[in-house]
Amino acid sequence: MMKNPIARLIIVLALISIGSGLFLALTYTYTIPHIEANAARDQEVAILETLPDAVSFEELKNTEFPIYVGLDSSGNEVGFAYVAEGGGFQGMIGLMVGVDPEQEIITGVKILSHSETPGLGARITEAVFLDQFAQKSISDNFIVKEDIDGVTGATFSSKSVSAILEQTLPKAVEQYRESGGGK
Amino acid sequence: MGYGNLVVSSSPHIRSEETVQRIMIDVIIALLPATAASVYFFGMRALAITLTGIIAAVAAEAAIQKIRNKPVTINDGSAVITGLLLALTLSPAMPLWMVAVGAVVAIGIGKQVYGGLGSNPFNPALVGRAFLVVTFPVHMTTWVSPVDGVTSATPLGLLKMEGIKTGYMELFIGNVGGSLGETSALLLILGGLYLLYRGIIDWRIPAFYLGTVAVMTMVLGGDPIFHLFSGGLMLGAFFMATDMVTTPVTKMGKIIFGVGAGILVVIIRLYGGYPEGVLFSILLMNTFTPIIEKYTRPKIYGEVKR
Amino acid sequence: MKFGYEFIKGLWDENPTFRLVLGMCPTLAVTNAAMNGLSMGLATTFVLVGSNIMVSALKKVIPDEVRIPSYVIIIATFVTIADLALAAFFPEIYRVLGLFIPLIVVNCIILARAEAFAAKNSIGKSALDGLGMGFGFTWALTFLGIIREILGMGSVFGIKLFGEGFVSWIIFILPPGAFLTLGLILGLFNAVLGKKKKAQCS
Repeated sequence: MMKNPIARLIIVLALISIGSGLFLALTYTYTIPHIEANAARDQEVAILETLPDAVSFEELKNTEFPIYVGLDSSGNEVGFAYVAEGGGFQGMIGLMVGVDPEQEIITGVKILSHSETPGLGARITEAVFLDQFAQKSISDNFIVKEDIDGVTGATFSSKSVSAILEQTLPKAVEQYRESGGGK
Repeated sequence: MGYGNLVVSSSPHIRSEETVQRIMIDVIIALLPATAASVYFFGMRALAITLTGIIAAVAAEAAIQKIRNKPVTINDGSAVITGLLLALTLSPAMPLWMVAVGAVVAIGIGKQVYGGLGSNPFNPALVGRAFLVVTFPVHMTTWVSPVDGVTSATPLGLLKMEGIKTGYMELFIGNVGGSLGETSALLLILGGLYLLYRGIIDWRIPAFYLGTVAVMTMVLGGDPIFHLFSGGLMLGAFFMATDMVTTPVTKMGKIIFGVGAGILVVIIRLYGGYPEGVLFSILLMNTFTPIIEKYTRPKIYGEVKR
Repeated sequence: MKFGYEFIKGLWDENPTFRLVLGMCPTLAVTNAAMNGLSMGLATTFVLVGSNIMVSALKKVIPDEVRIPSYVIIIATFVTIADLALAAFFPEIYRVLGLFIPLIVVNCIILARAEAFAAKNSIGKSALDGLGMGFGFTWALTFLGIIREILGMGSVFGIKLFGEGFVSWIIFILPPGAFLTLGLILGLFNAVLGKKKKAQCS
């Protein structure tokens, strides 16, 4: 068996790799349903939080970015939620925005992801800041210090959230209407 | 504060009357007008902050040296200057305990961990301020207007966030929002000139620092006069960028230091996330001091180029 | 007695963080809260014990020339298992630690223990060594996390300690705070232990 040392190296490494692969395949098949369920639940929570009247939702087809239509218990449309993204102080800020297209107001805003400074800019995720956007008109400019109280010491992060909303709202409403929403 | 009349050379050396204590007293004298002005503009609050800074710095120095069984050297006045300089860079609205924290950090982490006066790579007062800026950003950026005492932004902050420019005369006299010692450009220049006259500081760093800022802002389309007289630039140029421990001793080195710090200030002010860049410009250039000195050291007599 | 020491030494005498100063990346990166330090420590312990056992079991089979690639495959396997398991069952922790879990693979404590200990010792001893080192790492990270969380957020394991008036020392939950806290603790340990050693000598 020790006659060919190179062959031995290859065989041992191959066996270890195969063992490792088997192990991982088992772990993967066992954990992946849980991981997918977690992701789906996160998304559901975010969508339903920004659409307070909705109890379920479905995704619109043929849109440039994901748009989810919220439905109440009897299946009527109560608004839509969309994912918006834009630059913050340190990195990208991802938002879930809920809109009531009939009254043309925002129903809720939630931060999905961000990399703002902990303890400062990161406080844009707090309800005190985000709840200010609810019930505001979609054509609002969300000017920090006038329409919206910014997070103390994090004017830049606060302004970023406003800017993302201001830039993405018209586009989202247009997409929603074009894709046959609101019927 | 470099020995302006000293040239790096081989022995024999001449003994001079200059002692650490003598130099420190001169620096304190030079800072007095600006300190007095801050008390005039901001009231007793400014005095309380100044005293807290000085007392905390001296106490920290004494305590750390006691614990480490080293001779206590608070009489040389260097801790007093660290405390005073730190206080002058703070907002008059700063809670006193935060001032004390900053002073302890300045002495402890900025100076004593490296082995005390002469061994610190960074200006201790600026280390203290940097710590406070990162630790208490809200308090460090809440300014009070000396005119009506309400919260206001600094002239640099106003320019960056709202696009409002403050008048030259107000900047020059110091009747603007800002930290204790950075508001009055006039009195800081006066103190700086005194130090130049006494030979405590070398003209090269302040001159090239300020000159670079003026030229750079002009080239990049800013307003050079506004940028010269706002923020902590005057305080930094005369009292911090000239610290003899943390800046180069060679003539060429001082010029490089001044130009480098000037470029950094303008870049941070015009393009950075912070409205003010003096603090970081000097700290960053402090890190380059050893390498600047290495390449600007005069040739030893008789040395042959290899 | 000998077996007990293999476990105990990792806790203090050869503590990976405070005595060997190994694995600094996770130490500095994820200790901004006590819970994060604890989770990171436990995930690393799992990988350490697993890889130590496997390396020790296979030490006669693995040829010397390819031992490092073999160890890396073994370690990577356990890290991926930990990564998947955390994502599946502890999504909250996974969201915070995220990227740093896969990075356990380059944590030098693990390769160091495989190479320096597990490759030369029995399975039982290697398991105890991994457990000891892992717990030593865990308490060190949790300790750092507690200090930084108290100063930076005024809480421990998410429980608020102070009233409304508390002002967060934000630097302590930012990267510079990690360096400051670790440096000061290391200095303090060396000062205290240095004095002890001097006293023993004289």
